[in-house]
This record gives sequence, C-alpha cells and structure tokens, in this order.
Amino acid sequence: MALFAVLQTAFLLALLPLRTYQSEVLSEPLPLTPESLSVSINSAKQCLHLQWTVHNLDYHQELKMVFEIQISRFKASDVIWTGNYSTTVTQNQVLHWSWESELPLECAIHFVRMRTMVDDARIPVPRFWSNWSSWKKADAQNSLGDHPLYVFPKDKLVEEGSDVTICYISRNHQDNISCYLEDVLTFGKQLDQSVWAFELKNISFLRKTGTNFYCQGQGVPEGVVLFVSKVLEEPKNFSCETRDLKTLTCTWDPGDDTGLIQLPSYTLFESFSRKKTLCKHRNRCDWQVTQDSQEMYNFTLVAENYFRKRSVSILFNLIHGVHPVAPYNLFPKNVSATNATMTWKVHSIGNNSALLCQLQLLGEGKVIQQHNISIRVNGEYLLSELEPDTEYMARVRCAYADHFWKWSELISQNFTTAEAAPSEAPDVWRDVMFVSGHPTVTLFWKPLSKVHTHGKILFYNVVVENLDEASSLEVLSVPAPANSTKVTLNQSSYQIHVTAHNSVGPSPASTVAISGHPGNENVEEGRINGTEDGFPMSWKPQSRNATGYVVEWCDGPQNLPCVLQWKNLGPTTTGTVISSGAFRPGVRYNFRIYEISTKRMAHLLEKKTGYLEELAPSYNPQVVPNNLTSHSFTLSWKDYPTESQTGFIQGYYVYLKSKAGEKCHRGFEKTVLPDNSVCCKYTIDNPDQKTFVMKDLQPESVYEFFVTPYTSAGEGPMDDFRKVTTPDEYSHILIHIILPMIFCVLVIMIACYLKSQWLKDKCYPDIPDPYKSSVLSLIKSKENPHITIMNVNDCVPDAIEVVNKPEGSKIQFTGTRKSPTETKGTKPAYLDLLPTEKNYSGPGPCICFENFTYNQAASDLGYCGHFPVTSQAPHCPLGPLTSPENLLKTLEQNYMNSLGEIPAGEANLNYVSQLASPVSGDKESPPTNPPEPALCSEYKMQMAIPLGLASPPPSENSSLSSTTLLDPGEHYH
Amino acid sequence: MKVLAAGVVPLLLVLHWKQGAGNPLPITPVNATCATRHPCPSNLMNQIRNQLGQLNSSANSLFILYYTAQGEPFPNNLDKLCGPNVTDFPPFHANGTEKARLVELYRIIAYLGASLGNITRDQKVLNPYAHGLHSRLSATADVLRGLLSNVLCRLCSKHHVGHVDVTYGPDTSGKDVFQKKKLGCQLLGKYKQVIAVLAQAF
Repeated sequence: MALFAVLQTAFLLALLPLRTYQSEVLSEPLPLTPESLSVSINSAKQCLHLQWTVHNLDYHQELKMVFEIQISRFKASDVIWTGNYSTTVTQNQVLHWSWESELPLECAIHFVRMRTMVDDARIPVPRFWSNWSSWKKADAQNSLGDHPLYVFPKDKLVEEGSDVTICYISRNHQDNISCYLEDVLTFGKQLDQSVWAFELKNISFLRKTGTNFYCQGQGVPEGVVLFVSKVLEEPKNFSCETRDLKTLTCTWDPGDDTGLIQLPSYTLFESFSRKKTLCKHRNRCDWQVTQDSQEMYNFTLVAENYFRKRSVSILFNLIHGVHPVAPYNLFPKNVSATNATMTWKVHSIGNNSALLCQLQLLGEGKVIQQHNISIRVNGEYLLSELEPDTEYMARVRCAYADHFWKWSELISQNFTTAEAAPSEAPDVWRDVMFVSGHPTVTLFWKPLSKVHTHGKILFYNVVVENLDEASSLEVLSVPAPANSTKVTLNQSSYQIHVTAHNSVGPSPASTVAISGHPGNENVEEGRINGTEDGFPMSWKPQSRNATGYVVEWCDGPQNLPCVLQWKNLGPTTTGTVISSGAFRPGVRYNFRIYEISTKRMAHLLEKKTGYLEELAPSYNPQVVPNNLTSHSFTLSWKDYPTESQTGFIQGYYVYLKSKAGEKCHRGFEKTVLPDNSVCCKYTIDNPDQKTFVMKDLQPESVYEFFVTPYTSAGEGPMDDFRKVTTPDEYSHILIHIILPMIFCVLVIMIACYLKSQWLKDKCYPDIPDPYKSSVLSLIKSKENPHITIMNVNDCVPDAIEVVNKPEGSKIQFTGTRKSPTETKGTKPAYLDLLPTEKNYSGPGPCICFENFTYNQAASDLGYCGHFPVTSQAPHCPLGPLTSPENLLKTLEQNYMNSLGEIPAGEANLNYVSQLASPVSGDKESPPTNPPEPALCSEYKMQMAIPLGLASPPPSENSSLSSTTLLDPGEHYH
Repeated sequence: MKVLAAGVVPLLLVLHWKQGAGNPLPITPVNATCATRHPCPSNLMNQIRNQLGQLNSSANSLFILYYTAQGEPFPNNLDKLCGPNVTDFPPFHANGTEKARLVELYRIIAYLGASLGNITRDQKVLNPYAHGLHSRLSATADVLRGLLSNVLCRLCSKHHVGHVDVTYGPDTSGKDVFQKKKLGCQLLGKYKQVIAVLAQAF
C-alpha cells in the first residue's frame, strides 16, 4: 500500500512539470527567434548559404516553424527578395537554407535577415512573428585581389535558352570599359559606382569549349567562359534484350549531345530487385541476370545532368527478349552438280534451349529456297534441286524457339555447284551461198543460255555428214566463244550436226540439212507492217510433214553487214511476231520464212519486207530536166533508189510554179506550200515511174519545179524549186540557119587567112619595081640614053653641107636615087646644101626628095615633117636613116637605143628626116616643140616601108622586122 | 609516354614551384662539382642552335593554332588578350658572355617548359577534341626538354655550372577557364617573341 502511495506521488510529481510545460508552450506565445545566423557564399553555385539555430526549444520538442527571410543588395534597405522557409525544428538543430542569386555574388554586397513564427497546429492562433534578426552581411569582394577589373561569374554552367547575368567590377571608375560576347559588343546597366551587369537572354549553344565573354578597359582584358549545355533529352527507344539469358543489355537513343564536356549520367534502376547500376555508355547498359530465376524486370532509366533529370521505364520479360547470337561455321559439304549440304553451329542459350534457324539459298541475289530447322547445337541441311555450275549463297540466322522475338544476325557462305554436260542442243541456222555451183554454208549458232550450259563451253563440234557417201564424215572443232563457221561443200546432200562441249561432255546435237542444189528462190515478196511489238507475220504451210519453221532476217539496215538472226518455230505454227531491240523505225527489214522438212532440209516459203514504222522520205531525188522545148520539158530521176528509203515509196509529187494567176495544167491541182505560196501539184502514184513530161507550157516562160517522193508517213523534205525557162518558139529555126552561116564564115576566114599571100598577089599585088620592069629592058634595047625612069622634080638641092669630111668619105649620099647611068657623071656627093633665096620658100631650108617607090600612103598624110634646118642643129632625130648603111647599122644595133643616143660622129649630114613625124615618132611622148607644117620641099621615102615602121619602135621585134624590110640587097642599088 | 610526361612533369613542376617559385637562387659556385650522366656530344652548340631554330620555325604556327582553338574573341583581339606581357619572364641579354647567355637560356627554357606543361594540361580539359593542338604542344615540350638537357650539358662541361636556379610562371590549375586561355595565349605569344631572339643570339 505504501508502495502504491509512493508510486502515485512520483507519477504526480512527474506530471507536474509536464503540466507546467503545457501551460507555458501551448497556452502562451513563445519568444522563438533565429539565433546564430551566419551567411556564407558559394561562388561555384552562386548561392548564399544561411545557417542558424532556434533557441528556447525544449528537449525533444519539435515544432513546425516558418522563417521569413529578407535579402538586400548593396544596402540593407534595398530588399531585393523576401521569402518564407518552412520546416520542423528541433532543439539545437542547425538550420540551413540556400538562396541562388541571378547576379554573381562577387559583384555586390548582400545582407540577410530573418524572423520566425511557429506554424504548428498544436499552437493555437493567433501566432506572432518574432523580431527580425540583425542584418548579416555577405561580401565576396573582400576576397578579391587588387586587379583593376574583375568579371563574374567564372566558368558558369547554363542551359541553352536560359538567361544569365554577367557583371564586372572596375576598380578604376574613370576607365571606360566595353564588354563583348564573342566579339559582339554588349550593353549592360550600372548597379553601383563600380559594378555593371549584363543580362544575356536566351543564351544559345556555341561550342563545347564554352562561350567567351570579356571586358576591355585600358588594362588587360578580363573575361569569363560560359559553358552552355543543350537541354538534356529524354532517352528514346528504351528496350532490353538478352543474347544468352545471362546478361541483359538495355539500349536507348540518348538524343542530341548536350554539348558539354561533362556528359550526363545514365543510371539503370530495377524496381523488383531494387538494384541499380551506373551505365558506362550513354546509349547502352548491361545488367547481370541473377540466378534466382527472376523473369520479370521493371527497369527505369534515369538520365541526369547539372540541370535536369529525365527518366523512362519499361516492364521486361526475360524470355520474351531473347536475341540469339549469330550462328557460326557455316560451310557447304558434299557439293555436287545439283545438291549441297550446309552445316553450321550456334551458341547455346541457357540450358541448351532450342533454336529455330532459317537457312536461305540465294541465286543471283534472290532467295530461291528457304528452310526452317530447329536445332540445339549443330545445324545441317541438304539443299537439293540446284543448277549445275551455278554460284549460290547460303545464309542462316536463328531465333529463340520458345518465344520468337528477333532473328540473330545473318551469316553467309558462297559456294558453286559442279559442272554437268550442256542440257540443250545449240540453236543452229545456216546461210547457203552457191559459188560456182558449189554450196558454201555458213553455220551460225546462238550461245546456250546459262541454265543450259552447265559449265563453261569450251568448243563446238561441227560434224559434216555427206548423205550421198555414207562413210564421209568431216569433223570441225570450233573453239568458244565463236558462234559461226564456214563449210564448203560439193553438190551432194549433207547433214550437219553441231554440239557444244564443256569440261564434262557434249550437248545434244543440233542438225541442219543442206541440199547440193539451190532451192527455189523465186518467191514473191510480200509486205508487212511493223507494230509496237514487232513484225507480225503469217504463212501458209506447203507440206504436211514440216517439222518446223524458221524465220530469218538481218538485224541491221540493208547498207550494213548483215547480222543474221533467226527464230525457230514449231511445226504447227503458222504465224509469229518477230521482235528485236535492234529494230528501228525507217529501216527496211527483209524476212525469209523457211519450212523445215523431216530431213531437216529448209525450203524457202515466203519473203516479207517491211518497216517497223514507215517514215517520210529523208531526201528528195536529184531531178534532171531535159528535152526542153518551147512547150514541154522532161523531168527525170532515174537514179533515185526506192529500196533504201525510210518507207515504201508510194509515188511522187511534182510541184510546178509558173506565172502568178495562171491556171494549173491538166492533171495538176492547186496546193499551198508551207511558205503560203501557191503552186500546182501533180501526183505520180506509181513509184516506179521516174520520169515526168511537163506539157502545154508557154514559150519563153520561166517554170519552177520540184519533185518529192511520198510514203505512207508523208512526203519528203521541202527543197528549193529549180527553174526552167522554155525557149522561143522560133529559136530553133534561127539556130538552124545562124549556126551554119557562122560556120561558113569561119571557114572562109580561115581559108582567107591561109591563102592571104595568094589573095594579095591576086587582089592587090605589089607595085612593080621600075628597075626590074620589063620596060627597062626594052629601053636598054633601044639604046636611048636619054630616056630615064625617074626624074628629079623641081626640088633640086642647092647645097650640101659636109659636116665632117674625114668621116663623110664613108657616107654615101643616096638622097637622089639616080640611075647608075646618071650618077656616073656626077661629082662626089659630099656637098654643102646652102640655102638660097631663090629656093627658099619657107621658114627654113627644106630638102625634098622624090622616089617612085615612095609609099603613097605615107605621102598622103599631107605632111612629111618639115623642120628648120640650122647649122647648129645637133642631130636630126632620124639622121642616121638618111644613110642606108647607118640605117641598117642602127637597126642592127638593136633599136632599143633611142635616136638621141646615136653618136654625133655618125650623123654627119644635117638634114631633116621625113620620118620624124608624129605618126612615126614616140606616140606616147610627143615632141615638146612639134614642127610646124611647112609646105615646102617634100621628101618621099624611097622605101616601101609600112607606115607603122617608119620610125623604129623601141622593141626588139620591130627591129627585126625593120631589118628584114631594109635589106640593102633588096632596095639599094 | 606522352601521358606520363603530361601528368608527371606538371606534378613535379608544381612540387618544385611550392618550394622555390619566385625566388631565383644563385647559380652553382664555380668550385662546385659538376658531373653529367652521359658525355656531352662534341657538336653541342650546333645542336642547341638547331633546336632553337626548330622551335623558332614552329612557334608562330603553334601560336596561331592555339588562339584559333580558343574561339572568339581571341583570334581578333590578339594584342589585348595574347600580348606578350608576361611579367615574371626570365630576362635575356644577348650581349653577355656565352656562359651568362646559356644560364639565361636555361632559365627561359625551364620557364617555358613548365608553362607549356600547364597549357597542355589545361587544353586537354578545355579543348578535348583539339588533338592537333595537343600534339603540337607536346612536341614543343619535347624539344624544350631536349634543349634544356643540352644547355645544361654545355654549362656543365664547359663552364662547370652544374645547377641553375630557375623560376616558373604561375600555376593555372586554380584559375578560371578564361584566365587559363588568356595566360596560355600570352605565354605562347611571349614564347614566339623570345624564341626568335634566342635563335638569333645563338
């Protein structure tokens, strides 16, 4: 009992303080104020870190409290931020709180204060704020050195698209500082006397090595580097798989690189096992499968960098994500011409789980066989129905047999089947030419297709069998890849067998039969029209026993060497379409259809010719007009080849133009040409007609014509018209008269020319020389000395002046041609010719001679060169001519010398030549002082000199001519 | 080997800097013992000249490569950001005796070698993909090391100088990125300028 009393007393005593406490705390406001407030600066994070405690809390007491915090900048009174911080406080707890400043803390002094209020539901309202704590100062500038310029924040990490504030502190207030962001001038605002701030909005990523910001005053530039990070993306395509049921591999697409040297971290967390692993790669992570047969996995991938955290989750069943490793050691085994066995191995999965493998056989890049095989360790499969000598590719892949999810990677192996003998006879055709009655056969064969060669064709065997001589066999071996050979036969019948050989053996033989005689080639040629598909043609079988038909043609145009082509057709075929990629529009192709007999003999059945597509003629004929009359002419173009045109020539158009307004001739029709001119057009619908007669034309008219062929596709190109002028209606008559007349005149002229001497003698003979006259003989015979032939007229010389006596002895005066009888009694002829008043009849002394041989034509000129003769007259231009010797000498001295160049010593006798006339002088250089005509003494030349030669022309020919005429033997006696 | 050099050399330099940075000590007294591990080659001065010429021929391209890799504004503000105003750079007097010139050369090469080590280390962090710059910096540092050895050999063998007190530039490991870039650029600008003088002086 006593014990109970003691316990009760103790319990009451214990309750007493509690009661007291309750009365104090719960019923009255508590004076709880923050104590020991301290502020520190975290420059790296640009944070103000606050630390304080709350006193007056009892032991074990927990109270929910609110702290109101105020932050000022530069001055305590400039509050820039006010906020509340709520937390539960215990006794002696040191509270922490951080505030991140957008302005770098180094650039400004910050002040912090706070007050508190109990915010606990257990405390009845009203509640009261405590008193403010004192201002606490945070000054980072104290730690700065004495540099004149500082820029902050240093090496700040920012996310692309965010805003960042940069500031500088300048110790020198006078300094004019400019700041640049990557060389771009940036403007800021002044916060303090020495502090400027620059707010960079929506900053963008430039490079991994950071964005430079620097400020430049008078001193050394200072700056900072901002490391801009791209926004971290959420991982995409997150999936997991296992290749061996031991290790899980999760992969994802991390998206764009954040651009920071510090890469984001990737962590894989599995919620069932509550395990996590830090991934070593940014797009892949391995996870070890535990042995506790965990089948389901709930993975969460967390990507995290300085600014963000991204996560993505999947629920994964281990069995459903098996991706086997690729098989290995795939090899062909026992490869024959048609079969091959493929073997391969696989990596075991788990406890020798079954794998489903897919074996594919590819030929020429296409899958031609595909087989699914279930295996555990080793795979083997027999591939059959292969083609000989063919390269194949075998490839295999495997998947998890229990639950298919994904094929493994493929592995492949190439192999080639063995060769076999060719399976088909070569397609053979022949071309037979008969040379001197002997057939020369050119055999053609087409290369076997790859599916029939079964190996490389090495050669072709050609066996020529003479059917008329049973034992006669000729074997030719033609090495591949030749596709033709020539065989000369005699006039027997032959069978020719052609086989293709590869390394294994020959192909079946292909047989053609050749008759020793030419067959019937006189088969009418029919026309065919080509279509888009080729040349459709049909024929009528001639015999019921035909074993087939062959259509042969040449692939190229007719003017090119023939590339013989043929097509084999079955015995029941009576029509086909011949198509070839070589066919071109506008080219004529000739086809020959043969019927093959049971003896493999070919008989020409039909000939066809046609165009794949007819074109208009490419050129026009060269038209020659002939037989031109006043009313017609003929056009001819016989050399125009109709066979080699770009279509079947159906006829010709003859265009005719005549005078405007004229009507077209009969058969012509008016047509308008492309140049809008009107002309007449005649249509010749016979392609073989290559002449055309233009009739009913007008004489002396101009006609223009033009001939062009036409095909079903149109007419030829429009060339220039040629002109023809019809002649006058009577012109032929004139021609018939005038031409003979002209001919006759010409004949007469030629005859006259040839007989000119004879004519001269007959029509105008030379004047007879009196000394040679027959009369002279008569005179002599009468012995009458008084009778003379020539008398000197009244012009008797008065005086003869001998200029140079010594030389004058050589001069023979021949001015008076006296007869020898008369000259005998005369004195020496060296006399001075002195003028006398009696004989003087003109302005100067004249000398006049007369001779009966004088050229009358010369005297008829009316004047004969009268010159005053003076004693000083140096040289008479024709002085030397007065002496026949001098004349002859002068002429012999080549009359190229001018007369004035004759030495004075040779001109002893001063007299005036009658030849010194303008007619006989230098016509191009008339004398400066032409002599005045004086009717005084006359001189008549005693020589029969042609007028043109009276004066020696300065030419060699003339000299020769003069020499001939002045032959002294002929004229001087 | 390069990794080893890039890691160990700066470490050694930093340790050395802690003890004696900024306090140049007098050269070895004349009567001090001087011994080289290997005999110096006979054509030592030729080798020194060739190495200086080699450094001089590549200094400008290294400078260009460096400031180009730093991005703007460095290439366009070379005079402001990359001026050769390195305050504590060892002096050189071209008109001194060979011994004095070699001693000064030794100090300069040691200074440059340490600074290039810092630059190489910084650039591998700041420009991890600028492999061309890294290799050029490493190659230059290699030649500087060889030159330092040759100069010491010459000093020891001919002038009996076995030890030269050297100074190093400021360690940039604690500086911000912009300072690292700027100091590196200034150092390489100074290097380009000084190496030309040295190549001509020898």
